[in-house]
Amino acid sequence: MNTPFRLRQVRTIAQLELKRVFFSRRSFWVYLLALLPAVIFIGHGIDVKVRQSRSASRTVSREILASIQLGDTPESVIERAGEPIDDHQWNWKEQNREVAHRRMMYFDGQDRVNLHFQDGLLASKRQSPLINAEEDRKVFAGVFQYFYLRLAIFFGCLGIFMNLFRGEMLDKTLHFWFLAPARRETLLAGKYLAGLAASIVVFTGGVALCFAAMLWPQSAADTQAYWQGPGPAHLFAYLAAAALACIGYGSVFLAAGMLLRNPIVPAVVLLLWEGINGFLPAILKKLSVLYYVQALCPVPPPLDASAPPLARLLLTPSEPPPAAVAAIGLLALTALVLWSASRAVRKLEINYGAES
Amino acid sequence: MRTPEIVFDEVSKFYGEVLGVNRVTLNIPPGITSLVGPNGSGKTTLMNLMAGLIHPDRGTITVRGLSPKDPERLMRVTGYATQYDAAPRGATGFDFVSTGLMLYGYSRVEAAERAWKALDQVSLTGAANRKVAAYSKGMRQRVRLAHAFAHDPEVLVLDEPLNGLDPLVRAETIALFRGWAAEGRHVILSSHVLDEVDVISDQVILIANGMIIAEGQIRNVRDEIHEHPSQFIIRSPGAARIASMLFELDHVTQVKLQDDRLGLLVMTRNRQEFSRALTRIALGGCGIESVIAADENVDALYEYLIGGSR
Repeated sequence: MNTPFRLRQVRTIAQLELKRVFFSRRSFWVYLLALLPAVIFIGHGIDVKVRQSRSASRTVSREILASIQLGDTPESVIERAGEPIDDHQWNWKEQNREVAHRRMMYFDGQDRVNLHFQDGLLASKRQSPLINAEEDRKVFAGVFQYFYLRLAIFFGCLGIFMNLFRGEMLDKTLHFWFLAPARRETLLAGKYLAGLAASIVVFTGGVALCFAAMLWPQSAADTQAYWQGPGPAHLFAYLAAAALACIGYGSVFLAAGMLLRNPIVPAVVLLLWEGINGFLPAILKKLSVLYYVQALCPVPPPLDASAPPLARLLLTPSEPPPAAVAAIGLLALTALVLWSASRAVRKLEINYGAES
Repeated sequence: MRTPEIVFDEVSKFYGEVLGVNRVTLNIPPGITSLVGPNGSGKTTLMNLMAGLIHPDRGTITVRGLSPKDPERLMRVTGYATQYDAAPRGATGFDFVSTGLMLYGYSRVEAAERAWKALDQVSLTGAANRKVAAYSKGMRQRVRLAHAFAHDPEVLVLDEPLNGLDPLVRAETIALFRGWAAEGRHVILSSHVLDEVDVISDQVILIANGMIIAEGQIRNVRDEIHEHPSQFIIRSPGAARIASMLFELDHVTQVKLQDDRLGLLVMTRNRQEFSRALTRIALGGCGIESVIAADENVDALYEYLIGGSR
């Protein structure tokens, strides 16, 4: 038995496992997790597109909109700018008297202009873009760090990698692999690669789709500028971070699946560990997947100042290492975990009776 | 040069505080060897130890000179049909067997050829493209068997391989075992039906409570089995007369007339002689309504062999 033969075995095991991982009923919720943000961004994009098309039919020149001044009446505004896109009226009781409010919205082809009238006179005028590319990128950064890294990839890898051994133990099919003429380490490598391929395809696919959905409603000029600027580097960084998160969490949950029966235990422990990583001493910080992958994220996520102090503490990332150090550190951590897993798999016994 | 035996040397295995097998020492030569014992006696534990699915707490095992800790070499010469279905969900019988072969390094074409050959030997080619999940118990048994021997192993370990097979397939399967044994291979099978292994085995290992209670050539163990007193209940209107006739026989150790005087409980040391005597009595004009074996099960034999210590 030589190395090329063992590598062929790894490939065969990975190919066989890949089908099971991709088409297993247990994997469907992982797809949902990976695609949920993309669905939300697509919904947002559709909303923007609908508003753009509605507004585009009633564009008012910038000169006319600039001529509207505080103190103007709604009638004089309509006389100059025509009927608004939106027009709402309501009364509000303030200091024992009824105040008439009216809000009208115009569109100059790029920005929305909101006019607010009180008692028949223009009280405020606010201009805002229909879509804010910069803001959308920050929202995407938040979705990536708070949803993908901390939840979707974490729990997705838990579902995929814990099942590689534990799921087969529950299905009473693990002996199929243990009775093959392969070293246990070869089996571990094949299964890990299968889980890795599945999780990377699912999650980098989800992130890429979400990224595309984020850019879709933006103007051609904004999109072009972004692609000619930092866009490709951002996309690469997000995909690399997602893939490295799968590599890291995958190894941890693969090992946990061999040592523990209940997936809730490692999930809770690791979730807490990752959450408090920012407060840990420097040496312990290095034993966290999130510590490394956060360092690769190109845009800092928005953190609401009004968020509760505990949430702010848990969500604030620790001081990130340089990107190259982060990638190498994560791979070293993964190698250490896989080495421990390979020792555990050699001792693993088939004892289905204890599982039921 | 590898030794041709399967050797257990003082092997013990515990599941936590529960005994699996205790201080088992065996030297199993090639041929058909049956592990016989009641459920939970340790048969599957011995087989799992042989195949490296579990590891001994004490002692050593070698299978034709190979350690079960080295699956890469051991499983090239060993095939194990467990009592559990190993087929991945949705796999057909053919997929199951050919997929297993690909792990031996066979190309897809070679694996397919070998898989068809193995499926043919267990008469399963007609159902090969059906999903294993839709198979009957007997078909699952056969596909597991095909999976175990498709790579042409020297040692076949088969957990209750005759369970669920219809008489025709059973006879074909037994013929397969005999053919392999004649080629110098090990065929280790487990069963809790003594009569079944009696006709097919070269060696028998009787196991109870994780301990070997008898082993050796089937002839010797059979003698031990035949010395085991058997109990029968006879119903007849002439029960009292039959009782007096049976008392005259050497092999009959006890005769007890039941309260209704229509039934007898008889204990004999020789079933065959007893059977012949009953035939003579019936032909002599005593109307015998029924004869029922009162303890014809393997548990009773073990009770006897291990001296009622269970």
